[in-house]
Parts: sequence; C-alpha cells; structure tokens
Amino acid sequence: MMLLAARALAGGYGGAEVVRMVDLDVAEGDCVAVLGPNGAGKSTLLRLLAGILPATSGTVELRGRPLASWRRREVAQTMGFVPQSVSFAFPLTVAEVVQQGRAPHLGPWRPPSPRDHAAVAAAIERVGLVGREHAAVQRLSGGERQLVLLARALASEPRVLLLDEPATALDVGHQLELVAILRELTGEGVGTIVVVHDWNFALRVANRVAVLHHGWLHAAGSAAQVLRPDLFREVFGVEVELIERPDGVPVLVPHG
Amino acid sequence: MRRAADATLVLVLLLASAAALLAGGPAATPAEALAALAGGGSPEAHAVVVGLRLPRLLLGIGVGAALALAGAALQSLLGNPLGDPFLLGISGGGAAAATAAFVLLPAAALGLVPAAAMAGAAGATALVWWMARGPLGPSSTRMILAGVAVNAAASAAILTILSIAPSPRLPGALAVTMGSLASASGAAVAWLAPYLVVPAFVLLLHGRDLGLLATGEESAAALGVEVGTVRRRVFLAAAALSGGAVAFAGVIGFVGLVTPHLCRLVWGQSTRRLLPRAAVAGAALMVLGDLVAHRALAPAELPVGVVTALLGVPFFVVLLRRTS
Repeated sequence: MMLLAARALAGGYGGAEVVRMVDLDVAEGDCVAVLGPNGAGKSTLLRLLAGILPATSGTVELRGRPLASWRRREVAQTMGFVPQSVSFAFPLTVAEVVQQGRAPHLGPWRPPSPRDHAAVAAAIERVGLVGREHAAVQRLSGGERQLVLLARALASEPRVLLLDEPATALDVGHQLELVAILRELTGEGVGTIVVVHDWNFALRVANRVAVLHHGWLHAAGSAAQVLRPDLFREVFGVEVELIERPDGVPVLVPHG
Repeated sequence: MRRAADATLVLVLLLASAAALLAGGPAATPAEALAALAGGGSPEAHAVVVGLRLPRLLLGIGVGAALALAGAALQSLLGNPLGDPFLLGISGGGAAAATAAFVLLPAAALGLVPAAAMAGAAGATALVWWMARGPLGPSSTRMILAGVAVNAAASAAILTILSIAPSPRLPGALAVTMGSLASASGAAVAWLAPYLVVPAFVLLLHGRDLGLLATGEESAAALGVEVGTVRRRVFLAAAALSGGAVAFAGVIGFVGLVTPHLCRLVWGQSTRRLLPRAAVAGAALMVLGDLVAHRALAPAELPVGVVTALLGVPFFVVLLRRTS
C-alpha cells in the first residue's frame, strides 16, 4: 500500500489555482524531491498533500484512506510536516518547541509521559542539538531553527514526512547531516517528500524526483531519468552540465 | 520551584480573599465577620458580610479570572504578546453600550445595563470577526487591525456620550469606564457564573492547541489542530469572558494583558499549564486590587483598574528585568 498517493490534485488560494492535476505516489522508504522554479507551486503542493490547504479537486490518500476522512490529529500522528519557517511570538526553548511535536499523541489534557520525553530527546539527539535544549529558539541562527523544526516533526514519529525547503538556511556541514538524517529515515521505511532548490541535494537524498512548472507536474521519475540538461533548459531556462564524480554520484553544474 | 510558585499563588488568593471578607471596612469587625460567615452574628454584620462582601469577592474572582484567561488565550490565538480583550475592541464595545444604556435608559430599567454591555461586546466581536475575514478566513493581523479600529470607534462613542450625559447619570456612566466591583450582588454573581464557567472550560480544553497556534496556522495545522474550529471557539469564548467582565465590572485594564505574561515569566510558556494559573493569578490580582481600591483611601474609593495597574506593573517590570 502507498503511504501517500495524490491523484489529479489541484488547489490554490482564493480561486487562483496554483497546483494543477498532480499525480504523486510515496511508498515506504521513498524519498521524493520536489523541484521547480520559484512560484511553481512546490510549497502549495506540500500543503495540499498535508491537508493543511483543502484541495479544489482531485484526491489525496494517506495509507489508502482519503485524507479528507481523517481527523487532523490522526493525520498529525502519521504525517510530519516541516514548514519553511515558524513565527515564535513567545520565547520558547528548543525543548519546548520539540515537545510540541508530541501534541498529536497527547490530546487536550494528558501530560507528557516518559515515552513522550524519550521521543523528544531522541529527536533532539538526531538533529544534533543535544546541549542546546534550554536555549531560547528566538536566539538561534536560521539554520539551527530549521533543525529545531525538523526535530519537532521527528518527535511525532511520523511514517510520512513532508519538508519544505529544509536545507536553505543550513551551512554545508549541516546540509550533509540533513542528508544523512533523511537517508536514515528512508532506511527505516519513512516516506519523505522534500521540496528543495538545490538539485545536487536532491540527487543525494532522493530516489525519485518530481519537477513542477507553472503548477503542472512537468516530469517525474528517477533522478537520472528526470534531471537531464533539456529539462533545465525548458523549466529553469538555464544550461547545465551533468558531471559524474569518480564515485559515480552525478553533479549538476549550471553554465553562465 | 514551580510547585512553590503554585503554592504561593494559591496562598495569595486565599489571604486576599480572607482579608476582603474579614477586613473589608468598619461596618463589621473581623470577629463579627467571622461569626456572620459561620451563620451567626448580628443581622447587620450578616447583611454586610454575606450580602455585600462575599458577592463582591466572588465577582472579583470571576472577573479577574475571566480577563486573565481571555488575555492569555487571545495572545496565543493571535500570536501576539499584546493580545487582550481591549486590543480587539471587545471591552470597548461592551463599555460603549453600557455607558449609552446608563445615560439613555429610564431609571427603572437600569438593571439592563449588564445586558447592554454583553450585547455591545458581542456586537464588537462580530464586527471584528467580519472585518478580519479574508479569502483564507480571518487572519491575525487583520483581526488586530479591525480590533484597533473598533476600539477607536468605541472610545469616541464613550467620550461623546459622557460629554452630553445629563449630570445625574454621569457618575454611573463614568464608573463603567473606570471599572468597579461596587455593583456586586448575589444575583449578579449567580447570573454571571455560568456565563464565565462554560467559556473558561472551552479555553482550558484548547490550552495545548493555543500553544501550537501561537507558532502560526500552518504549523498548528501540521500538528493536528483544527485551526478554523479552534480559532472560532477560542475567539467566541474569550469574547464571552470579556463581555461578562465588562458587563458587571466595567472596563478594567491591565489584568488581561499583563497577568498572562507574569505567569509566563514565572512558569514558562506551556499554554496548557499557563491558562489555569493565569486564571488564579488574575483572580488574586483583582481581589487584592479591589481591597486596596476601597480600603486604601477610605471612605474615598479608587477605580479598581487603576489599582490593579499600580500593583501589577512594578511587579511585572522587576520580573521582566530579572529574567531578560
């Protein structure tokens, strides 16, 4: 069974359709990278898949059941979502933010149990923020905040994880750490969809790539099939060269 | 540390309540008051303690808790530390309607002033909600802007009413704008109680959701919050609490805004735990404030809102400096 399956999915804001007729499947252990120019509808697609934004047409099925028939809390127990950024109106600590990831499992009254604390500690350790638990999240760098948001989503122990540009504010060391974390997760059977701008990041983590252009799914398939020079010419309007490193990992280098 | 702070908070409320009942003024000595509370004592002492002081204490507890709960909930709902019933124009709408009712109604119908205040608060709430509606539902920023506009209109209306009010009615109308617990009665408390208990329960039920909402709608929805439903319920509950407070105690500033922040500084940011503590702290501040308001310069009585501000602001400043 597919973890997440979208059929002819469309949606947008206030009558303007931003995502059109997108089909997408995520199986256990899949990592799908969503690429596309600015304004192509990548973040909107992620919101539609998460059910945060209602679809205007088409369907999303989570574990074989239409997303619309799930309660939000049930969705959040199964699917993690890492937004690009979050507003912190109040001075929360790293631990308090990551603790929020347990909310879907707790309901309105139940205080966190040792099991919940363990999940929070494991998530903090996984993103490498041990020792920073009591730091005020507002004082962290942009990159560290992205890691906190990742930890918050991991604390809910999701089977499907959606990430909206998780690598943009990360330095190269943290980007490689994120690559390692995503690989670990897919190894554990978590299905992930990650919106990225960095093609090479996509090549490192994703077994499948989906390219959005003006809201349409322009191309989808394995990275090697999709990320060809003609695609970059059509979608991004740039010339790129595909170079193979000695270890076999392909690298995309734009011209100009 | 948290336990000790909890115990201190409850102790302050209990001591303030005891002081309000036993040392409320020269009409009954503490011994006479105690006897009256136990069911004995003179009829005069009984009338003062059970008929006046007790309802006034209960009204203070209810109003203080309501304002602090509404403030704490609105701050999280709007993701804005400045959120409180005043910012959103709810108190202003209630006060404008109450002042108008005070000036316009015939003397026999002045019992309807609280109902007018509730209607005004409800009207202001509906107006803010309607103004803030966008294609994606009401946004926090639009809600705050709408609230500021409604508040400005309410202030203008109040000033207009006060400037043309006939002089016999002016003190009553002014009391609404300055806030007072003097109108407390057993009937008022009985009427207000369910009006406060139900919305308070709604807010406590959504304590955890509110903490998530403070980090933004997308973020809250991703963590399982039914954003639309919760926002509607919390807004209505906070409006009901603020409307009830304005109806029976007039405009009392500061309690709704600063009590939640005091609690955040002492106990941390978890809204699930913050809301009940804010309610108790608001009640304590209100009872203390009222005690000072009508005992400090007796027989003259200060507006209770002035006293709560005078009591709370220095405490808040010290806490803010110590924790920054």
